[in-house]
Amino acid sequence: MRYYIGAEARLRRTVEDVAMSVFEGWNYEEVITPSVDYYDLFEQGMGQREAQRGFRFTDNDGRLLALRPDVTSSVARMAATLLSERPRPLRFCYAAPVFRQQTQSHAEWRRENTQLGCELIGSGGKPADLEILSLAAEILSRLNLQSRYCITINNVEIFNGVAAQMNLTPAAREQLRRLIDTREAAELRRFLQEYDSRAGEAFSQPTQLTGKRDVIKTARRLITNERSVAALNSLEELWAEIESLNLQDSFEIDLGDVSSLDYYTGLSLKIFVRGAGTSVGRGGRYDGLTGSFGRAEPAVGFVLNLDALTEVLGREGAQR
Amino acid sequence: MITIAIAKGRMQESALALLARAGIRPCDTANNSRRLALADETGQYRFIFVKPADVPVYVEHGIADCGVVGRDVLLESEADLLLPLDLGIARCRIVVAAADPEAMTKVQGMIRVATKYSQIASAHFGARGIPVEIIQLSGSVELAPALGLADVIVDLVETGQTLRENGLTVVEEIAESTGRLVVNRASYQLKAEEVSRLLNALTTT
Repeated sequence: MRYYIGAEARLRRTVEDVAMSVFEGWNYEEVITPSVDYYDLFEQGMGQREAQRGFRFTDNDGRLLALRPDVTSSVARMAATLLSERPRPLRFCYAAPVFRQQTQSHAEWRRENTQLGCELIGSGGKPADLEILSLAAEILSRLNLQSRYCITINNVEIFNGVAAQMNLTPAAREQLRRLIDTREAAELRRFLQEYDSRAGEAFSQPTQLTGKRDVIKTARRLITNERSVAALNSLEELWAEIESLNLQDSFEIDLGDVSSLDYYTGLSLKIFVRGAGTSVGRGGRYDGLTGSFGRAEPAVGFVLNLDALTEVLGREGAQR
Repeated sequence: MITIAIAKGRMQESALALLARAGIRPCDTANNSRRLALADETGQYRFIFVKPADVPVYVEHGIADCGVVGRDVLLESEADLLLPLDLGIARCRIVVAAADPEAMTKVQGMIRVATKYSQIASAHFGARGIPVEIIQLSGSVELAPALGLADVIVDLVETGQTLRENGLTVVEEIAESTGRLVVNRASYQLKAEEVSRLLNALTTT
């Protein structure tokens, strides 16, 4: 629960305007989605675990409603239903508050966050992924965060391929995911000994998980299954494009980013800015999402946290 | 520069000794023993000394980039951090202890558990479906069974001396705890070079 007064409110609006004008420059149309919708929509869109963090209440007839915990679910349904006949690709952007219950100890303590986001629907593959990454980079540099932000990219299929090869139970898969996510190297090696998995070892060196192109080379030495290799190839191709745009200083590959495996189906990304203790944005490819609303097609997008960006930029302004 | 939050108390001395072996020394500790923030000799690191339970807080918010803290504290805090290194220092166990070795099977209905570690205790008993009442204390937990406040305690044990002196024995071990290096998620990316330098220095000692 946060008030913005005077100069802070102006700064926040400026940040929002910058992002929305960049989206507009790339032909993204603004959408405004309902703040309150049936809970089912969000469970279908985000999966149960994330949707449950939404604030829920009942309608007159007893049906469960929720304050929207994300915008992507609504946009995906809109694309699959209202706009099913419109020619593809669809490009949408939004600036909208989302509401989530937060665990007490969390540094991301705010229940209400405004997301600046975009979705590119009906366009798959490298060009679409690259479009999203370029957009994010452009917004951050227009906010004068050049050389102070870092976008990490990964392809979730690298992990999925390794996990499938190891033939894990759902509980063991979740444990493996958690150990990689928190970089618990020693525990991870202990876990892997049971499975005799050479491929798993690729995740057991925290300092080799993140970096530039070399990360992929190192991973290739251990990871040989077809599914993971295909993902490594597409990540490497994407990296080559990033280099050709001369953006490699602002990007990192992070094979350890396995935080939202159930949601993303290919590229996943996180955005960090100096001065913010947590990530200020995230996104990725979610080709499985629109299918759950009846029209399967590729989709990719990201969100930036307007409140976190305002805080970083505001603190900086105050210091100046 | 990297800021390292170090848990005061039993962790502090062994953490500083380990860092010193890795070539990272706070300047002039003797004269600064009461200062809560110190730079190292090279100016690459800054140390802050805070209560153990506050280490995850400073690191999660990114005020400190890294921290040295026991696994017991991390299990209790549920903070979202990276845990790349087990430093193997300040080794101890988190245990269930009682005056009667058979306490766990004798008590009927509901077990009263006195502890500083309410999260760990409720997770441990909850996972096995044992109904418990958690009594949160902030110190001298070993007194609770003798005075009739609780049937068992969940606490940290190093040598077992304190337990023995208070007539308690270990009935179950919940987890082992050692000092961990924790890292803020954003610092891990934004100060990647400095963080891996620290990781490498600590791994090779």
